[in-house]
Amino acid sequence: MKQIPDKDIIIFKSCLITVEYPGIESSTKYVFDKLGIEYKILEDQTCCTGLGHYSDVFDQFTTSVLGARNFSLAKKYNQKHFVMMCATCYAINKKVANILNNKSEVREDINEIFKESNLEHLTYEKGDIDSTKNLFHVVDILYKKKDELSKHIKYDLSDFKIATHHGCHYCKVHYDDTIGGYRNPQILDELVEACGCETIGFYDFKRTTCGSGFRQRYANKDLSMDVTKDKLQSLKEDNVDILVHLCPNCHVQFDRYQNYIDDDCKTIHLNIAQFIAIAMGADFNKVIGAKAHTVPIESILTDLKEVE
Amino acid sequence: MKNSKSNNTYEIKIEDSPLSLAEDIINDIKFSKEKGLLKCVQCGMCTSTCPAAQHSNYNPRDMIERVLEGDKTILEDDDIWNCFYCYTCHSICPVGNSACEINQILKQISISEGKADEKLKPFLGFADSYYSMAIGAIPSNFFEEISEDVPGWWDFRMKLEDIREELGLGTISPPQEVVDEVSTLLDKCGFKKCIDKIREADE
Repeated sequence: MKQIPDKDIIIFKSCLITVEYPGIESSTKYVFDKLGIEYKILEDQTCCTGLGHYSDVFDQFTTSVLGARNFSLAKKYNQKHFVMMCATCYAINKKVANILNNKSEVREDINEIFKESNLEHLTYEKGDIDSTKNLFHVVDILYKKKDELSKHIKYDLSDFKIATHHGCHYCKVHYDDTIGGYRNPQILDELVEACGCETIGFYDFKRTTCGSGFRQRYANKDLSMDVTKDKLQSLKEDNVDILVHLCPNCHVQFDRYQNYIDDDCKTIHLNIAQFIAIAMGADFNKVIGAKAHTVPIESILTDLKEVE
Repeated sequence: MKNSKSNNTYEIKIEDSPLSLAEDIINDIKFSKEKGLLKCVQCGMCTSTCPAAQHSNYNPRDMIERVLEGDKTILEDDDIWNCFYCYTCHSICPVGNSACEINQILKQISISEGKADEKLKPFLGFADSYYSMAIGAIPSNFFEEISEDVPGWWDFRMKLEDIREELGLGTISPPQEVVDEVSTLLDKCGFKKCIDKIREADE
């Protein structure tokens, strides 16, 4: 398995987490702190462009210019690794690193733009950031520490029926780097199990996209909701209480639109960092960010019992 | 190309290079599969696992066939706009092709030829929000519809700053000098020109 760091980490901020589910960021920090993972969060990092990129507005070159600028922050802050909370940030940044390292003409064009803009300190040199060795998703870091999770667990969540939704841009884009498989993805199931719970494992449409489809949610809403409904129906048939996510865009699609699609679905939606933080005893308002959720997490998570 | 048999019984004339579209794709900055496109055997695995194909007329296998035939009408085919960018096809292709990347590249060609302004217009807010805040979350032109579809969402958004403060998180946008820096880069790399062109065509 790839080498996974527990220090020299920059947590890469996500636009959707910032404005839709800020509790994912605070929960990630909370869990990393408990596990002794050293990290920085930078105010001068900008968005990966992902939503605009996959709505076809930001072309690959533009996305790569802004990506190279973000990568320059590793040197500036003397850190080696970026850890993404969002599956699309993860896929975008890995793609940009591969382009910058392997397509020398593109790298030279981008460095020329930095020079023309009097921003030569942003210059990218081949190999500055390696897609596999320096770019990770939060789940990768948690996976490395999964055997240490149990000693921090305060609440027993094993009575809830739990399923997992693995974001496509974590599993399927750079699939050679995906931990836990991408045809039958398991990493979230293994992390939930490390908290003393079981998941329902495989279910119909487990591998299917959330249905946001970036532009589809807005320009082609019926198509988008049809795809989401496939998965929701399956979760409903299995009476799932909690769907565990690793991507804020999937999270928006399910939590915001669940009742729009089917008022009868009662599943709540938690990012894996929120799930673990809850199991560790984190406060719903000060850490988990419960107020951001459309399907109230308190509708399922009441009277939590402590681990015996 | 002219190809005459010695007895002059027939003549084949192909006006264009049928692989020129495929070559453009292979040479595109985004394409990561090198010769994967040329290895396509039309097995249809992409289409059989595609969520858009299950729910609409989009057919990635057919898209690849047309690319390999040099059929440029694919650039104006409305169905290619139904792809979800879920990369399922990309992850399962037995010959290592990526219909998903090719779909994105076809759209960028279509955009650069000025054929897709209507498709981009609803999403130009992503450019605006990058220029104003250096983040690219959901553009404000969608807020009204989201508010109608998602009860409570607008109330939450109104309280976002307070909620973030309670969570001990920093500001939503990076400092102004960072926003200015990325705006300069967006201007220099030709992004602004593309966006302005689409807006001007609309006026």
